[in-house]
Amino acid sequence: MEVEDIDEIDINQMKDKEIVIPGEVLSEDLTNFTPGRGTTKQGNKIISLFVGLKVIRKNYINVIPLRGIYTPTEGDKVIGVIIDKNPVKWKLDINARNFGILKPSNTVARTQKFRKGRPDRAYETTQKFSVGDVLIVKITQADRLHHPELTTQGKYLGKRHSGKLIEIPPPKIPRIIGRKGSMINLLKKMTNCNIFVAQNGRIWIQGDNFENEMLLIDTIHKIETEAHTSGLTERIKDFIINEKTRRGIN
Amino acid sequence: MSLLIKDESPEKLIGEDGKRLDGRDLNELRPIKMEVGVIPNADGSAYIEWGNNKIYAAVYGPREVHPRHDARPDRGILRTFYRMTTFSVSERKRPAPGRREKEISMVIKNAIEPVLFLELYPDSVVEVFIEVISADGGTRCACTTVAVLALADAGIPMKGLITAVAAGKANGKIIIDCSGDEDKSGEADLPCAISWYNNQIALLQFDGIMDLKEFDKSIDQIIEALEKIRKLQEEALKKRYIDVRDHLKNYKPEVVSTNNIEEKIDSNNQKNQNGGDQTE
Repeated sequence: MEVEDIDEIDINQMKDKEIVIPGEVLSEDLTNFTPGRGTTKQGNKIISLFVGLKVIRKNYINVIPLRGIYTPTEGDKVIGVIIDKNPVKWKLDINARNFGILKPSNTVARTQKFRKGRPDRAYETTQKFSVGDVLIVKITQADRLHHPELTTQGKYLGKRHSGKLIEIPPPKIPRIIGRKGSMINLLKKMTNCNIFVAQNGRIWIQGDNFENEMLLIDTIHKIETEAHTSGLTERIKDFIINEKTRRGIN
Repeated sequence: MSLLIKDESPEKLIGEDGKRLDGRDLNELRPIKMEVGVIPNADGSAYIEWGNNKIYAAVYGPREVHPRHDARPDRGILRTFYRMTTFSVSERKRPAPGRREKEISMVIKNAIEPVLFLELYPDSVVEVFIEVISADGGTRCACTTVAVLALADAGIPMKGLITAVAAGKANGKIIIDCSGDEDKSGEADLPCAISWYNNQIALLQFDGIMDLKEFDKSIDQIIEALEKIRKLQEEALKKRYIDVRDHLKNYKPEVVSTNNIEEKIDSNNQKNQNGGDQTE
């Protein structure tokens, strides 16, 4: 299963970065540096807004937060749980500030009929999914004032019938994916599991047996606690090998 | 420092040796301990032990506002709930929020709100729940200090930290960080908070009698004390992440070679088989 490579500031290749706190002065040199993400200008100083890691990229000083809430963005693939439904829409908890809205017309596969503008009227009810179902959805519309609009049309999207769902803080998701997907490929290969990492901090996994799934969950929680350290991929590799021996997993 | 808080006011708050009741100097702080990330289910949390004060703060949000008419379309709102548990003071406190608790919730909210970037979260609310488990004077200052820590831990964007401490007057002398007894039977009480991003006063309340010279002197001493508390706040926020790093500094890879794994798995399987045989 593929995961979109997000255009994040690369925190995977770095050495131990400085941990900063809100209000900490990052630089007083405004001629060479510009305040980037997670920072602001206060007088003639650049200060941090978050508890996070200080990253300098070109002329920008950025702070990558270590905790925070997920903000829905158009095009993100997220994992949602249905919390409510009525005859015209489902409401999904997508781990964000507002619940997302999924309309039945956005769950119909794009067939020939659909393209001609005659969607099958039989699908125009909310019979398909029920409360409690786990769906992988894509956000089609999102802004700060309205509820995000969702769709299940697309590759890998739709209802999950089996597997496990775990949650980590959303800012730590780039570490699970790794540089160009290095970490997630390592996890998939070494634990023989299907993984879908969503931008809202939720991870869906399904393995061929219970032991591998539990090993993967422990590994992900290890990555979560050590997300701000360097040399993570190597350590995780050793961890999985040693744990496999200890637990006697083939 | 005894854990039992006697409910009698002593005659003299400052002894002949110039020390206070609990043996502190006039401008000495009580021992302070702070920690963040203590409540796993909250979005952000913090705990403070300030002398005999024990306070938890938990932050939830930004999340949807209920009732909906409280929501603002241009900015998020901050709600602060200060609550004293019934067992936090020597005589049982009635559990319903009273006039005092509502006032303290309000002053903490007004002190913290200007440093938060709430305009990034329109139509939503950030809620801070502050629970005083044990109270011994100066809780509104301790609560402001710990609420800011919890908000920073929750990842809410903020311009800087806020620190608070109270000054007072006992036996005609200025004292810093009043304890419960000094609060009750002292001559004045002056809680003060400073927001560090612009070095301005975020909270200032006053009760009692003090002349202007004494007021200026106590503000100077408050600033001196706040610098110390601010360092503790910064340490507490960073400690959570630095501890993990320090723990991993001495990490040495102990890679078991793949051959070993196969051998071990084989031996494990054999053991299992043997075990199975024995039981049969």
